Amino acid sequence: MGTLISRRLAAMIPVLVLVTFGVFALIHLTPGDPIDAMMAESYDPAAKERIRLELGLDQPIHVQYVTWIGKVVQGDFGRSIRDNQPVIENVSRRIGVSLQLALFAMVISLAVAFPIGILSASHRNSPIDGFGTMFALFGICMPNFLIALLLIYLFGVSLRWLPISGYVAPADGGVLGTIRSLTLPAVTLGLALAAVVTRTLRSSLLETLNEDYVRTARAKGLSEQLVIRRHALKNGLIPVVTVLGLQFGSLIGGAVITEYVFALPGIGRLVVDSVFSRDYPLVQGVILLIAIGFVLCNLLVDIVYGWLDPRIRYG
Amino acid sequence: MRVGFYVEAATMDPHLSGSKIDRQVYHNLFEPLLVLDTKLQIKPGLAESWSQPDPKTIVFKLRQGVKFHDDTEFDAESVKFNFDRMQNPETKSLRTGEIANVQNAEVVDKYTVKLNLKKPDAALLATLTDRAGMIISPAAVKKFGADLQRNPVGTGPFQFVEWVKDDHLSLKRFDGYWNKTGGPYLDGIRYRPIPDDTVKTQSLVGGEIDVMDYVAPRDVAMLKGNANVQEVDVESLATFNYQLNTTRAPFDKKELRQAVAYALDVTAIVKGVWLNVGVPSNGPIAPSSWAYDSSIKPIQRDVAKAKELLKAGGKPDGFTFNCITNNIPINVQEAEAMKAQLAEVGITMEVTLVDSARLAADQNARNFDMTSYQWSGRPDPDGNTFQFFKTQPGSGVNFAGYSNPKVDEILDKTREVSDQAERKKLYSELVKILQEDMPWIFILHPIEPKAFSPKVQGYDPIPDGMIRFKDMWLK
Repeated sequence: MGTLISRRLAAMIPVLVLVTFGVFALIHLTPGDPIDAMMAESYDPAAKERIRLELGLDQPIHVQYVTWIGKVVQGDFGRSIRDNQPVIENVSRRIGVSLQLALFAMVISLAVAFPIGILSASHRNSPIDGFGTMFALFGICMPNFLIALLLIYLFGVSLRWLPISGYVAPADGGVLGTIRSLTLPAVTLGLALAAVVTRTLRSSLLETLNEDYVRTARAKGLSEQLVIRRHALKNGLIPVVTVLGLQFGSLIGGAVITEYVFALPGIGRLVVDSVFSRDYPLVQGVILLIAIGFVLCNLLVDIVYGWLDPRIRYG
Repeated sequence: MRVGFYVEAATMDPHLSGSKIDRQVYHNLFEPLLVLDTKLQIKPGLAESWSQPDPKTIVFKLRQGVKFHDDTEFDAESVKFNFDRMQNPETKSLRTGEIANVQNAEVVDKYTVKLNLKKPDAALLATLTDRAGMIISPAAVKKFGADLQRNPVGTGPFQFVEWVKDDHLSLKRFDGYWNKTGGPYLDGIRYRPIPDDTVKTQSLVGGEIDVMDYVAPRDVAMLKGNANVQEVDVESLATFNYQLNTTRAPFDKKELRQAVAYALDVTAIVKGVWLNVGVPSNGPIAPSSWAYDSSIKPIQRDVAKAKELLKAGGKPDGFTFNCITNNIPINVQEAEAMKAQLAEVGITMEVTLVDSARLAADQNARNFDMTSYQWSGRPDPDGNTFQFFKTQPGSGVNFAGYSNPKVDEILDKTREVSDQAERKKLYSELVKILQEDMPWIFILHPIEPKAFSPKVQGYDPIPDGMIRFKDMWLK
């Protein structure tokens, strides 16, 4: 296991270099620069030139990249051009919101997907299975913003049960306040994820239920419930773990639309805003941190694999 | 008072601010030397009175007993400090251009400050009613340095509490406020950026916010009919248009610019796209301004005339040009409507949708035939005209590259003459020339609807669209 982890960690480095270089090139090659974005209303060519020199934007792009990566290796992610705050601070202030949202969405999706997925698989081709498949299809096809708006109308406007937008920090409104403010966005994200998980779980369980050892278990006279719980579920979970691992990474960085609609100060919104304002250090820093998160998630998935299925423990 | 913004503020340093939304906060946190009333007339602010002994000198008598939020005293030194800071290249201030005609600020005595001008500037007083005239605490500038933009200290009725980016920005009542008449009545203000229009509207209807600083045209009718909302149409100074690149073909030919103007049905665009939340414009000056000349009518669609102009411009079968515009729904709809109208006379408009940074980059590089241009407007007509139509060596914001010696002469004169009636005549003359030369296609002067919960009281709209909370309260 130790060698597996160290090998995988070493493999991260080229991936991260590629990611950072790609992001760097893309954001710098996109027309428009931070000064264009800042000076939306006031314009003074001389001032613009001064700022450009000061930020080193007159240097060739590869020189800028090397300078930046050199600082990053020393743990210096630079400062945001827009608000002059350290990038790390910008990210750390928001990552909490995104993590809470991602975890909450994950919990909701598992709570929904497990019963439906298992019931669908064990009652194959029954009305229950039909409902499960329909639910999954609905969850996958419905765009996020539409689910979000429907939830807002129903629970926020008509029933007035939950706040419509904004984030309440635990320090301001207690844990309950935080949970309330994240419920609608988490359900929005969770439903879409639940649909994916349901489908994955159903098909992998069906596959497992046709395995020889399951037939053996049934032949021993075990109840169907026990067969699924004891024998089939653990092996059926492997593809689900893959999906969850990948999805968790994208939940943290990819909840952009949900964060916009619900006006949450998360990392997804930070990425988009920083791209629009061409805040180079911020874009590069945030994407690099998200990429690290992704790679670590994948590593975690592999470790869980090893635990679920001893055959995978190569190394 | 909970306020919903359409976008997050950028900076709390008025000298560095380049976006309109910042000003919504500033007008409660800072105070300018002069203020506007609802008729856009200039009134005393931090300056009690002012006089102009000669066209190149303005003397301000300052209010006494005014304290900044950090308990330091406001006086002539602090005014001079602010002007010096705006003029210092190190500051990288975006106000430098606005006060370009100021030679320097001079302290006469503790409460008298004199501005020496390089040349007469009739628009300067109006400029000092906003960011360029707002006085920041010199002590705070020295204390916070570059972090001032997150720690603003002014003399306004409310003082800064905290700013959590993309979440909220809060102010509280300033107990040491100098003006004892009227407010501030509110304990505080909490601004929240809610980028999604629908969600923001629902937040107001559902009682989660009390104020919406901007209502999208498509939501206006819905809010007007809602008992839980007061909707107020505020006249604005803004002007939403298209600049034509006069420095290259096809729009270096006046006839082709005119052909586009006469092929467009602006009234239909204002009605169909903007849902009448605004009026067709005759030029760059908004109807809320004293300089607006209602006798000059907006260009009316005239297909026959447009076709004749195409012939005169050497393109009887029409031509193709590209238009860059912001990728936001209303701009896209507007571009589609224009495209369809132009097609009827044989002109092909190719639309490129870009984000704001790219738009600005292309505008600065004059990399367009036509570009959308939305200007929030300034209280003095100078702010809606001079920088856009005066011949410029670089591009400035005259992206059209327009240059007409007659117009230059008029614009210079509008700054030298201080009599309002006479200036108004000059501006009328200018608008007539612009309607002939067509460096821009004028579309509309938007109305800026605000929406409040029924509990909100005491709002007195000023056409600059800024909500000043000093005398407002919640029932």
